[in-house]
Amino acid sequence: MVTASETDQKLVQRAQRGDLRAFDLLVLKYQGRISALVSRYISDPGEVEDVTQEAFIKAYRALERFRGDSAFYTWLYRIAANAAKNHLVAKGRRPRSDASIEDAEAFDEFGSSSDSGSPEAIAMGDELVGVVDAAMQALPEELRAALTLRELEGLSYDDIAEVLGCPVGTVRSRIFRAREAIDERVREQIGGGSGFR
Amino acid sequence: MTTRDKDKEALSALMDGESQELELRRSLDSVEDDDALRAWWSRQQQVSEILQSQRSSQTGVDVSARVRSTLASQPQFQRNPLWSMAIAASVTLAVVMGGQALLPTAELTPAPLVSDIGGAVVPVIGAQPIRASFDARPVPISTQPPQGQGTVARQTAVAYERLARDRYLRLGAQHARAAALNHPAPFVHSMRAQTDSPLEVQDSK
Repeated sequence: MVTASETDQKLVQRAQRGDLRAFDLLVLKYQGRISALVSRYISDPGEVEDVTQEAFIKAYRALERFRGDSAFYTWLYRIAANAAKNHLVAKGRRPRSDASIEDAEAFDEFGSSSDSGSPEAIAMGDELVGVVDAAMQALPEELRAALTLRELEGLSYDDIAEVLGCPVGTVRSRIFRAREAIDERVREQIGGGSGFR
Repeated sequence: MTTRDKDKEALSALMDGESQELELRRSLDSVEDDDALRAWWSRQQQVSEILQSQRSSQTGVDVSARVRSTLASQPQFQRNPLWSMAIAASVTLAVVMGGQALLPTAELTPAPLVSDIGGAVVPVIGAQPIRASFDARPVPISTQPPQGQGTVARQTAVAYERLARDRYLRLGAQHARAAALNHPAPFVHSMRAQTDSPLEVQDSK
């Protein structure tokens, strides 16, 4: 089984060697979750954005000290939570709620968290879930099977190839085509990506 | 496939931790100044998050109450008593056959392992004395007991064997009848059940 942390590990290793492009991919990957976390402490959207940015910058600066004892997201989550708390302390305010590291670890394990965000974000999220589900159902069987085994079952490409009885290259291609097809539906539905990062 | 598609496919593999070092380097090169590609990666993370959030979720279907209610309203399932008979017959058969195997017979009387002409003599069940010499042809080992030895024991063994055989055939027929009533192919078993007369052994002589 291939986990998300293996991808993170590769990107983190490169970012630790100063590769900003790798860190950029990590930011793109986690900015939504981190901003959702920050919004649990801070209500002002502008401040949420500032603190989210600050958290990523702090993370990059501290990256050389990241030894991989925990998952990258858990580590990043801790930095972001501290950044949000420090922001409130500096402003002389109390946090809206507290988020624990256990939340981050639960997120890491299941790929989703209890970070709720604003009602608009929730509505947008619900809409997205519907679009993604519909797009998934509309996929040809061979593409849907490959993507399901990857995303829902967490199988490696080798394992999927064995299950589906096809070469690994075909699995890779099918998963990509499935993602591309879903992305097309998502962009159509959402209208070019407004509100969809 | 266009270069853009290749770049996306490489990013897709990277998402899954299936990207090799060289490919990762190429992906980073391609994504560096390509906002559309960066946006694609970002969107894919969110789609992946949505799909993976369904990994641990249930369908929401709960039929347990309905199943329980349905089962409670139906008469209790009762095991066919013939099954018990069939099982008992099988166990009895195993015991009979096992007991027969353990019964000491004349054929199993300990015999010397080597000839008593020379060397040590060790009594071993089933062994027969053989004299070793050049130009000797293999001596067939007789399964018949020596004449005049253990007559009483042999008669007992023969009587017991007959008794066990009759009992085996009777229980076998009973078992087959019971099985025939519970088997999806009852005809075959019924046919077997009808052949419950003692097996006739063809004499090859």
